[in-house]
Amino acid sequence: MKERMFFDVGVGKSEIKESYDVVIVGGGPAGLTAAIYTRQSGLSALVVEKNLEGGYMNLTELVENYPGFTSIRGEELGSKMVEHALHFGAELVTDNVEKIQVEGKDKFVHLSSGKTVRARVVIVATGSTPRKLGVPGEEQFRARGVSYCATCDGHFFKDGHVIVVGGGNSAFDESLFLAKMVRKITVVHILEKPTADARLREKVFANEKIEYRPLTELVRIEGDEKVEKVVLKDLKENKEYTMDVDGVFIFVGMNPNSELLKDLADLDEWGYIITDENMETKTPGIFAVGDVRSKGLRQIITAAADGAIAASIAARKYFET
Amino acid sequence: MALLDKEVSKQVKNMLGDMERTVKVLFFKSDDESECEYCSTIEQLLAELSELNDKISVEIIDVDEEEQKMEEYGIEMIPALVLLTEDGKDLGVRFYGIPAGHEFSTFLQDILVFSKGAIPQLSEENLKKLQGVEKPVNIKVFVTVTCPYCPRAVFTAHQLAMANDRITASMVEANEFMELSAKFGVSSVPHVVINDEHFFVGAYPEKDFVEEVLKVAKG
Ligand SMILES: Cc1cc2nc3c(=O)[nH]c(=O)nc-3n(C[C@H](O)[C@H](O)[C@H](O)COP(=O)(O)OP(=O)(O)OC[C@H]3O[C@@H](n4cnc5c(N)ncnc54)[C@H](O)[C@@H]3O)c2cc1C
Repeated sequence: MKERMFFDVGVGKSEIKESYDVVIVGGGPAGLTAAIYTRQSGLSALVVEKNLEGGYMNLTELVENYPGFTSIRGEELGSKMVEHALHFGAELVTDNVEKIQVEGKDKFVHLSSGKTVRARVVIVATGSTPRKLGVPGEEQFRARGVSYCATCDGHFFKDGHVIVVGGGNSAFDESLFLAKMVRKITVVHILEKPTADARLREKVFANEKIEYRPLTELVRIEGDEKVEKVVLKDLKENKEYTMDVDGVFIFVGMNPNSELLKDLADLDEWGYIITDENMETKTPGIFAVGDVRSKGLRQIITAAADGAIAASIAARKYFET
Repeated sequence: MALLDKEVSKQVKNMLGDMERTVKVLFFKSDDESECEYCSTIEQLLAELSELNDKISVEIIDVDEEEQKMEEYGIEMIPALVLLTEDGKDLGVRFYGIPAGHEFSTFLQDILVFSKGAIPQLSEENLKKLQGVEKPVNIKVFVTVTCPYCPRAVFTAHQLAMANDRITASMVEANEFMELSAKFGVSSVPHVVINDEHFFVGAYPEKDFVEEVLKVAKG
């Protein structure tokens, strides 16, 4: 801990008003960028974030593909975006949006604290949450050895043996991060070839602590009080076997947080929100941006781009007379 | 070398500019490094903070010399920090371990709330529910200083403590109290333990946090 001693003073949270030009739901890169562009158009903006401003960036150790930064800690990039939005006068509040209601041209955003905020335009930037594997033991041992976030929980497995499930970018990226603290990592993937990028594949295969087992399925998680072992299945031989582990990290994709708009927008077959090229949903004045939107690439840069487009188009379409 | 650099000091000074009344911070420490790895760092942090605002008054209690004080405040391990109102009232707000990293923001926020009369920032409805709690409730929020979601959980727990004298709420920095963390099976933070019997993981919204406490208080 000593080498990384830092002091976070927290951002200035504002008392919120009854109405804003634009209310943004979610404070990740998509929402924060939308706030910056809204303010630059001279409109008032409120960002409602239930957890921590910065969104998923807070849980990403290193970001190495955001232009301008060869390598930056996710949390740092996040706090820079927060500062940027505050600098231009966006307001931030910690609260959870429970419901969005449309009455003519007005939208009413209902918060868990009981407050309701009125807005002309609502931009939904709620991102996505890690997908569950759906195997026995997963729920039971959640927070007792089963985790979906290496940055959050990795250090509880210091010198231990963990299993990572998944073969994509997230699984490989997080494995490399875990390798800094745990003793041994076994990565299992149901396919033969990993889907992670070449650069990550090379790094993972070169890491002595990481063993990659293709064509292997995690069948079950077992233990008493906490995770003790997993049952794996060799898909080639069609044989099950057990392995002693201290922790299970699951990175098998994400689920969109799109419930808020299930009646106000069309969703694609995976539940992502469908918009037009201006990020607007089928309900006029309601936009969706970032990872929650149906699109081809989900990254910080594309989230930011979505936010910029939605806010600028909304300003032009709904506020210029 | 200063712990708080120029930029951070400026922000802190700014924030604490809103303080109204004095807030007392009791720091339970030991000079024995093997007993308390971070005690000297915490002592320095408190010194730097009280430099930035004279409404923060720090009292240092060396537990090797004043053991009875530990009992008086129900402190079982060190390092421990207890916040007191201007007139010395203990509302059950505690920090076990260093309030650094993201927890620094919780510490500052708590100080601000205390200086404004320690009025819990909870909804009317939740306040009412909590005031009905008659059984002693002890809340431990296990955190790590790098956990971005933990301050919310600690701050909420501390608000609950302010709402009812029977409720005590502590931040516990998991890395400094490894044995205790292992005892409660902490493998993910924030990990909240109520009366050592019931637990949940995650930064629950105020309403749900209160419900968890009521489950134990009523059961
Ligand atoms: C392990 C991992 C590593 C990654 N690494 C990289 C990388 O290196 N580079 C890169 O470019 N991308 C990376 N990504 C992808 C990147 O994190 C996302 O594309 C990006 O964060 C999406 O931004 P967003 O604003 O759409 O959503 P998010 O960042 O997910 O933010 C959404 C926010 O909305 C809040 N929210 C949700 N519902 C509500 C509600 N009802 N009320 C209030 N608030 C709500 C959430 O708390 C959250 O803070 C990574 C992703 C993962 C999973």
